[in-house]
Amino acid sequence: MMLTFLLPITLITLFAFAFGGAGKGKNEVTEYNLPVCDLDSTTASRAAIAALDSDKTVHVVIVQLAPAQEDVKKGNKDCVLIFHKGFADSLTNGSPMPVELQYDEAQEIQVGMLQKALFTTLAMVPYQDGKNAQRMLNKQFDKMIGKDNDQLKNQVRTQFDTLFKSVEKGVDQNPHKNVEKISLGSEIKMTKLVQANEENSPGLIQAVAGTAIMMLLFSVAGMGASLLDEKQEGTLKKLLYSPMNPNSILFGKMMMANIISIMQLTIMFIYVQLFFGLDLISHIPSLVLMIVFTAYACSSFGVFLASFAKSRQQVQGFSTLIVLIMSCIGGSMIPVFLMPGFMQKISVLSVNYWGIQGFYDIFWRKLALTDTTFLSRLLVLFVIGSTLNLVALKMFKKNILRIA
Amino acid sequence: MIRVSNLKKKYDAVEALKGISFSIAEGEFYGLLGPNGAGKSTTISILSTILEPTEGEVSIAGYDLKQNPVECKKTIGVVPQEIALYNEMSAYDNLLFWGSLYGVGKAELQKRIDEILPMFGLYDRRNDKVKTYSGGMKRRINIASALLHQPRVLFMDEPTVGIDPQSRNLIFEVVEKLHRNGMTIVYTTHYMEEAERFCDRIGIIDNGQIIAQGTLDELRKSSMIKETIVIGFTNLTDELFEKIKTAWHDVKRMDQVVHFFSPNSKNDLSKIILNCNEAGLDVAHIEIQKINLETIFLNLTGKQLRD
Repeated sequence: MMLTFLLPITLITLFAFAFGGAGKGKNEVTEYNLPVCDLDSTTASRAAIAALDSDKTVHVVIVQLAPAQEDVKKGNKDCVLIFHKGFADSLTNGSPMPVELQYDEAQEIQVGMLQKALFTTLAMVPYQDGKNAQRMLNKQFDKMIGKDNDQLKNQVRTQFDTLFKSVEKGVDQNPHKNVEKISLGSEIKMTKLVQANEENSPGLIQAVAGTAIMMLLFSVAGMGASLLDEKQEGTLKKLLYSPMNPNSILFGKMMMANIISIMQLTIMFIYVQLFFGLDLISHIPSLVLMIVFTAYACSSFGVFLASFAKSRQQVQGFSTLIVLIMSCIGGSMIPVFLMPGFMQKISVLSVNYWGIQGFYDIFWRKLALTDTTFLSRLLVLFVIGSTLNLVALKMFKKNILRIA
Repeated sequence: MIRVSNLKKKYDAVEALKGISFSIAEGEFYGLLGPNGAGKSTTISILSTILEPTEGEVSIAGYDLKQNPVECKKTIGVVPQEIALYNEMSAYDNLLFWGSLYGVGKAELQKRIDEILPMFGLYDRRNDKVKTYSGGMKRRINIASALLHQPRVLFMDEPTVGIDPQSRNLIFEVVEKLHRNGMTIVYTTHYMEEAERFCDRIGIIDNGQIIAQGTLDELRKSSMIKETIVIGFTNLTDELFEKIKTAWHDVKRMDQVVHFFSPNSKNDLSKIILNCNEAGLDVAHIEIQKINLETIFLNLTGKQLRD
């Protein structure tokens, strides 16, 4: 019943939220927290930032440049928008605005969606002041038509003057009105702060980390269920007759699940290096740590599931449901950045999320072993694993040891 | 060797043991008999330390079960009713594994396995996976695995259920040898002939209580059951039966068959035959039903042992 009806329904719901925009009203838009660094710090730059903030799809968060760039490099933020010094001057002299969007290439889809809002809003900024607009238009005409073609230039200018006068009225009332028609001249410099190389593309990292963790979760659920097999076959009872501590039986199972998990992840990464050229060699210490901690969290999850169940069949049913849901929300099936905001928030509840982000830290963001972001992911995996183990131990005593 | 005092076990509202007490001397073979659900397995589970009693005291080889469970575990060997082995491992590896749990060194363990496997007739098959074994062979390995640490007390919970005669005989031989060597054995079984054959003393447990215990002779005497001489006749009439009843008060008629209840069938048989001849009765067949555990059990509990 669970696999026939509940699982497909759950997955359809999650995919609908992730891809189909389910859960939003017809006119409801998701607000994007955009880190903005104002190096110009003039009335003009502040006005431009305020214009951005008034966009329904954008919520501006003012940040300092260096930490914001670090955040992008560490994967904590997708991008940072920088208003460089000279922004106000560019408006008065009609030169291109010194605005730059620095971003993580792995978040290209998210950044691409953001670009539209930025372009349309920033395109309006020069036109909010009539004189600036005239200057900007003149510059654009020179660029488009050529300085020497005075006759054509004058014809076009006359038409644009008429058009601009009508638009200016509209802009005063609503800066976003007719934006599409007049978004001329504004350019945002796009700079990749973190970018792909031949060996480590985000797609490859997503494929190996996402799939490896999902498949690992399936296999550890089976390993945890071996406890229940032992109960069913009477060997657990026989183990309990022996002088060893009952807890050590569970620790033994945990240890075995850990070792197999580490082996499984290692083999998967070696396979991807051999056949797809993922560069493991440069990241061995971080990779070893991340594999060990991910394996620990995943294997604890397997033992945790088994400690609640009464039979292997029950574990299989539950694990299929839970692993698929965790993989779906955690980024194994759909990259987290493609998900709507609320799903991105709940994705942190899954083991998959922390493992995948950890592997991104290593191969994509190339964070150092001592980097706090990387270490914090290890810590979270450790806390998840230890918490699950403690609960499993308690449940093991309550459910599984009650055998007589 | 084992002392059990006022042992109680409650599962929520169900009282599985209602305060049983018994003691077993060193080297004694003690049989625990009772129908399903009587409390045998609960008793064995408590004595083998995997179940905590609700109330009561247990000591094994001088160790208090609550205070020193690990010492108790080292003292005992348990042969569970179910065959608990790793099917994908060989018999040898199974024994090596189970023995190692009791802290026996590898060399010593290998020596003991080499000694024990021939006893159970499985030395030649030692390297075969257990899954290729017959039920009887598995049961023999199941017993062998409980002996590797040379326990002073062996709990055997229905060790011969569902096995072939060859395996049963081998198990009997081993059990008798262990008993001869001074091992204390607590044996639960449904088979009365096994209890009668092996047990020095027997405890009959029913409904969470020990309702009788002692040697087979003591149980016979205390049960006050009479032996039965069953005689079939060819010409029994109501008139002739009245004559028999005058001479033997404790009789019961079933058509042409009469049951004579006697405290000593051996002494009374000739007198009964003589009386019948004098009454003119022609005897078709004679059968003597001696008192055995089955009849004692039936008499005490009102149930068959396999109920």
